[in-house]
Amino acid sequence: MEHYLDLLSVLMLLSAIMLVSHKRIRSYIRTFRLQAILIAVIAGFMGFESLMTEGSIDILVICVIIIALKVVIIPMLLHKTFANVEDVVEKDFYLNIPILILMSCVLVVFSYFTLSGISGLASGHVNLQVVNAFSVILIGFFFMISRKKAIGQIIGYLVMENGIFVTAIFSTHGMPFIVDIGIFIDMITAVLIMGVMVVQINEKFDSININNLRNLRG
Amino acid sequence: MSTITYLLLQIVMIILLAPLVNGVIGKIKALTQKRTGAPVLQMYFDLHKLMQKSAVVSDVSSWIFRVTPYIVFGTAVVAAMLVPVSVRILPDSIPGDMIMLFYILALGRFFICLAALDTGSAFGGMGSSREVMISSLIEPSVIVVIFTLGLISKSTSVFIIMETMAQRGSSFIGPVTILLFLAMLMILIAETSRIPIDDPATHLELTMVHEAMILEYSGRHLALMEFGAVIKQMMLMTLMVNIFLPLESFVTVAGFPGVALSLLIYLGKMLVLTVIIALIEVNTVKVRFFSIPNLAALSFILAFLGFMQYFVLGRS
Repeated sequence: MEHYLDLLSVLMLLSAIMLVSHKRIRSYIRTFRLQAILIAVIAGFMGFESLMTEGSIDILVICVIIIALKVVIIPMLLHKTFANVEDVVEKDFYLNIPILILMSCVLVVFSYFTLSGISGLASGHVNLQVVNAFSVILIGFFFMISRKKAIGQIIGYLVMENGIFVTAIFSTHGMPFIVDIGIFIDMITAVLIMGVMVVQINEKFDSININNLRNLRG
Repeated sequence: MSTITYLLLQIVMIILLAPLVNGVIGKIKALTQKRTGAPVLQMYFDLHKLMQKSAVVSDVSSWIFRVTPYIVFGTAVVAAMLVPVSVRILPDSIPGDMIMLFYILALGRFFICLAALDTGSAFGGMGSSREVMISSLIEPSVIVVIFTLGLISKSTSVFIIMETMAQRGSSFIGPVTILLFLAMLMILIAETSRIPIDDPATHLELTMVHEAMILEYSGRHLALMEFGAVIKQMMLMTLMVNIFLPLESFVTVAGFPGVALSLLIYLGKMLVLTVIIALIEVNTVKVRFFSIPNLAALSFILAFLGFMQYFVLGRS
């Protein structure tokens, strides 16, 4: 059981790094969907375990919500938003891709050294899984600041949220149901609002490059 | 079975089967495109035809040009001898070191690059410059994979690594194994000039890498070059299936049936890996030459994460 969770946490980290190496919007969304499927599998495993031991179905319900929300609805919304934006390939980054990939490797090492100082985490299987999940948060954040287009930033935000969810589920084996539901509702609202914003920015500035937002237009 | 007989059998088997891998890959690609495709044995016919033709050698070329095909073929065969097709058949370990293995291959590559420069054709120089760039980009990942496997099995001997991986048995889809497998898959693709890195089926000036280097060769020299390339590919695939898909523990019978069963399992594993490679070729396009560093960095980071998961976090 723990063995498969180890594997899943590594695959999750891998999908975050794959995301950093992509530069097409369709690949962004595909990788995000892949990551969402991995999270659903993790939640499914955890939920099944808690159903067997404690008889609660909370995490299984959350697993179903993840499948509905992150695997189906959000990628659909993103596709819809990006359909009327012109750029399908991000052409310029602040750094080139090999350096971005190596930097995310540095982030993994960093998160290991940060987390090893926290007592209670440094033992057992939790350690590896939490390090991997925490790295996903950092990589999502790093992805966000490395992209110049608004689309990359939305995806980075979603990946960060995935990382937070997985860190929580690995370190506590299930947060209170109401908290999870609250986060999901926040997230879908955020995606809806950001979708509208992207379309607006694109209309006003003819581009979704956030550098243009600094210029006054009049 | 004594070690010498075993080595001879193994090398004959690898040499005879090597061109078949390309045939199977070609057939799978053709079938996915709704074509009939060339017969599976096509490469044997090609090699036979080339062997009977005389070789044309340019007047301005030096001895390096003439000696390279033999070096390439020789290094591939020597490297293939160091990789056991199955650890169960052998009475005791055969010598063979992972680091030596990869640098024997590097010797062959070094001579290909020299020979390509030797005739002074523009394509040769371009091809060898690209080849050197790709191999130096993929080298960090090779080193990290070798040393992680070495740390796991406390040795860099190919035989001992394979044996350790076979004894791990049921845990063979652990995080480390899957990360190293993916890194190794990219190394395999880069070393054998397959599609995301290089296209073996094209002679387009802008994209060819390996083909550009052997452009000046003809007749039996060309046959030896191509034969060397497929033996090298077969060797790397053998290394991969035996390290990452160790199924030897299922063979319990000893003696001749055991040997036959091990060989059957080996062929099955090779077929699986061949199908994986063919599917990658079908599903991806050749990347732009300046995007290859991305793939190399990805391969390096996969290997490094595998190293970290094993060595720092202590998970297998």
